[in-house]
Amino acid sequence: MFLTFASWLHKTPLSLGFQHQVAWLWPTCETIHFAGLALLLGVAGMFDLRLLGFMKRVPISVVKDFMPWALVGFTLNLLTGMIFVISEPAQYFGNPTWWVKVAFLIVAGANALIFETAYGRRAAAIPAGEDTPMPLKIIAGVSLISWLGVLVAGRFLPFVGAGVGAGL
Amino acid sequence: MEDFLLRLQESDFGVWVSSAPTIFAYPTILMLHTVGLAMIVGPAWVLDMRLLGYGARLPVEALRGAFRIMWVGFFINASTGIALFISEADDKGLKWIFWVKLLAIALALVVTTRLRRAVFGGGVASDVATPSARSLAKASLFLWLAAITAGRLMAYIK
Repeated sequence: MFLTFASWLHKTPLSLGFQHQVAWLWPTCETIHFAGLALLLGVAGMFDLRLLGFMKRVPISVVKDFMPWALVGFTLNLLTGMIFVISEPAQYFGNPTWWVKVAFLIVAGANALIFETAYGRRAAAIPAGEDTPMPLKIIAGVSLISWLGVLVAGRFLPFVGAGVGAGL
Repeated sequence: MEDFLLRLQESDFGVWVSSAPTIFAYPTILMLHTVGLAMIVGPAWVLDMRLLGYGARLPVEALRGAFRIMWVGFFINASTGIALFISEADDKGLKWIFWVKLLAIALALVVTTRLRRAVFGGGVASDVATPSARSLAKASLFLWLAAITAGRLMAYIK
């Protein structure tokens, strides 16, 4: 089903447009994708470390001031990632490692959503110097592991599972 | 020079890195190189942004620990970088963009050590960055971006 979708997507004007730009578009997007991952992991990683109990003298809400930059990094990577997938859909849909990356992304996203909706206000109310409760530490651990999983699966894409959907 | 690069690339270690049929050779080394990138550039950019005035409620002193993460990242990337270089020495060593990447990293290291001394060298770090600390922060932002860009382009520029 996904591969039918992939071959349809590959013939859309948008995909064809990206494919014809591919000489400079791909390296440019890759560069942005790597800068974006550093920004996202740097900022989100700092926030996770604070939830785990590092930098305890700083209130959680203050560390959170940086989070818009994590969102900038994520948005850059979502956009450039979509350009990769729209350009060569079968290369991704046909690769099990890409689905592992998507699974880690969903875990990371759901985890962030749980934090925001269920613990956001409670976390902001924790005064400086106080330890965070266990649920917040678990959320921080899941966040670190799932973003790392996104990176590792992404980097393994060309080596593990590649070619499964080749020729489509 | 080229003879030396070729000997490196064709050494047992070079051949193992580039062509051993295991995920633990080239793919894992390349993956660790990206993990190290995030451990260096992520904290560096957070510190740079803070020194340039973003997130001013955060005491600069709280970011002292960033250097520990960055040095671990640098150790990972120096080791994996050397291994990756050996495996493709005769290709990468002859590319000007590779030397641009190394130059950007060397300059970024000088800037990072100076920035550390300027901001954290004399007791508790001040929450207002001096003009020279701000310049170093701007240089750091730019040089790490340049290193990433040159690194990516190594796969494209002949």
